[in-house]
Amino acid sequence: MFLAVISIIGNALAAEESKVTVVNPRGTPPPIRLVPMAPRLDTLDGKTIYVINIGFGDTFLPEVQKVMAEKYPKTNWIFRRKAGRDYFDDDPKLWAEIKEKGHGMIMGVGH
Amino acid sequence: MGVPTAPVVTQRFQELVKTISWKKGMPKQRFTFIPHPVAGRPPELCNQYVRGKDPLTGKPIVEEFVAALTNPLTAEEKKTGFLMRDPQPRLLEPNTPTALIDLFEKNGWTDGLPIILPTEERVANMLKGTSHKPDEIVGTMRPSPPHEAWEFNVEMVAANAVMAGAKPEYLPVILALSSTGVTSLFSSTTSFARMAVVNGPIIAEIDMNGGIGAMSPLNKANATIGRAWTLISRNLGGGAIPGQTYLGSQGNNLNYNNICFPEKEDKLPAGWKPFSEQKGFKRGESAISTFTGWEIVHGALGMGGNKEGLARAVARYSTGAYRQVTLLLDPIVANDYKELHGFQTKEALSEWLLKNTPSPAQGYWRDHPDQMKQAKSGVEPFATWLKYPEGALIPASSLRPEVPVEIIVVGGETNAFMQMGDFRHVSTASVDKWR
Repeated sequence: MFLAVISIIGNALAAEESKVTVVNPRGTPPPIRLVPMAPRLDTLDGKTIYVINIGFGDTFLPEVQKVMAEKYPKTNWIFRRKAGRDYFDDDPKLWAEIKEKGHGMIMGVGH
Repeated sequence: MGVPTAPVVTQRFQELVKTISWKKGMPKQRFTFIPHPVAGRPPELCNQYVRGKDPLTGKPIVEEFVAALTNPLTAEEKKTGFLMRDPQPRLLEPNTPTALIDLFEKNGWTDGLPIILPTEERVANMLKGTSHKPDEIVGTMRPSPPHEAWEFNVEMVAANAVMAGAKPEYLPVILALSSTGVTSLFSSTTSFARMAVVNGPIIAEIDMNGGIGAMSPLNKANATIGRAWTLISRNLGGGAIPGQTYLGSQGNNLNYNNICFPEKEDKLPAGWKPFSEQKGFKRGESAISTFTGWEIVHGALGMGGNKEGLARAVARYSTGAYRQVTLLLDPIVANDYKELHGFQTKEALSEWLLKNTPSPAQGYWRDHPDQMKQAKSGVEPFATWLKYPEGALIPASSLRPEVPVEIIVVGGETNAFMQMGDFRHVSTASVDKWR
């Protein structure tokens, strides 16, 4: 009987827990500007496609270049390792080269 | 660039690349996924992967590359304009404390430990710790460079300071820390740690502890300022969503408090400057400095120190990817290096270590390919060094002159201990500006 009374009082207190207003702890994320993707190629024949390793593991992307060259011999497949130690380092010279001489690229990221 | 691209990534990062693509405004990028991981895998296995199927779509990887480069763009892929984010109301819907704590925990707004709810009253009280207006912009923060920067104001920082259990008088330090824009939860698979070191009169004003147990959970200011940095990095810096905005494979326990402590300025050897003064602040100014690294290790070098022994201990950080080190010297050790070894300044000890720290052989050759060529051509002393067994120390420093060996004095003189870690200085910000 005594325990039942305690339980009823406890439930009543919980039900009466008053509401409070709190400040939102979150910051303000910016809107995202949409960037349209580059137009695609009508064919790979006669095109130059760069295969770019940005710096995680050095064995996968060279194999991409080899297999693609074997399967698509009418396409010029060029392998390049981006300059710099890791993926944060920019390589404007390489990007300029690809823009000037390339028609497309396969870029490898992740471990 | 305007060049059609077929991005390829290992399957473990599916969620990450979708998030980043969305944040970069190109949400429909045509990813091909390969088995994870590929780092360190032999070429033969990688060749099989290329000839195999995308583990997520089941389609041949080669065909996916071709489709990514040649299939015409869809209307969705050509879209311009903006992706708008959900507006962030200043106040949350009123509710009971029990329900709100549940909400904070479910939304990932805490560090997993109990928090103090940032009620309007508590945040208003916290704001008494600064003269700055609540809506003043403090800065921006992001989990790592590929992510977008979130903006935040003084009141938002105050709300997180309340959650961490801080007192109003700590707020200028927390605002200064936030103003650096340095996240404590950097999103890297390598699981970075951070460190925050306070200098100046604010140390005594808010009763921070740089003495006995400075880096232990023994002091409210040390504890809550460091904790606030992590809450701010989660909530104001847009971080800490596993797989999206936090990638640390194992994580880093140091992030709970981010090694937050003050330098023991009153125990600096005569002539040794406080750290903030080394970074351009005047004596008497209060400032907080941030550091980045991964680990802290103990180095018991014994009473009286031994500079050659110190150099050998530092050698563990002298090769490899980052080649950076910060020393945390107990005042006993600092005084030994001054009185017994003649280092009249921190800078003198730092420069001696830059020149005299030996290099583990394996790392030395990796970091010095030109010297390796000379060694193979018989040029001395490289040819002799090349004969050293693996694990031996080569008597040449690999530390980078542009990354100083940083030295901070901290501790309570109960033993001649020191600690060190692969940390480097990132930024120092004025605390006084935020009073």
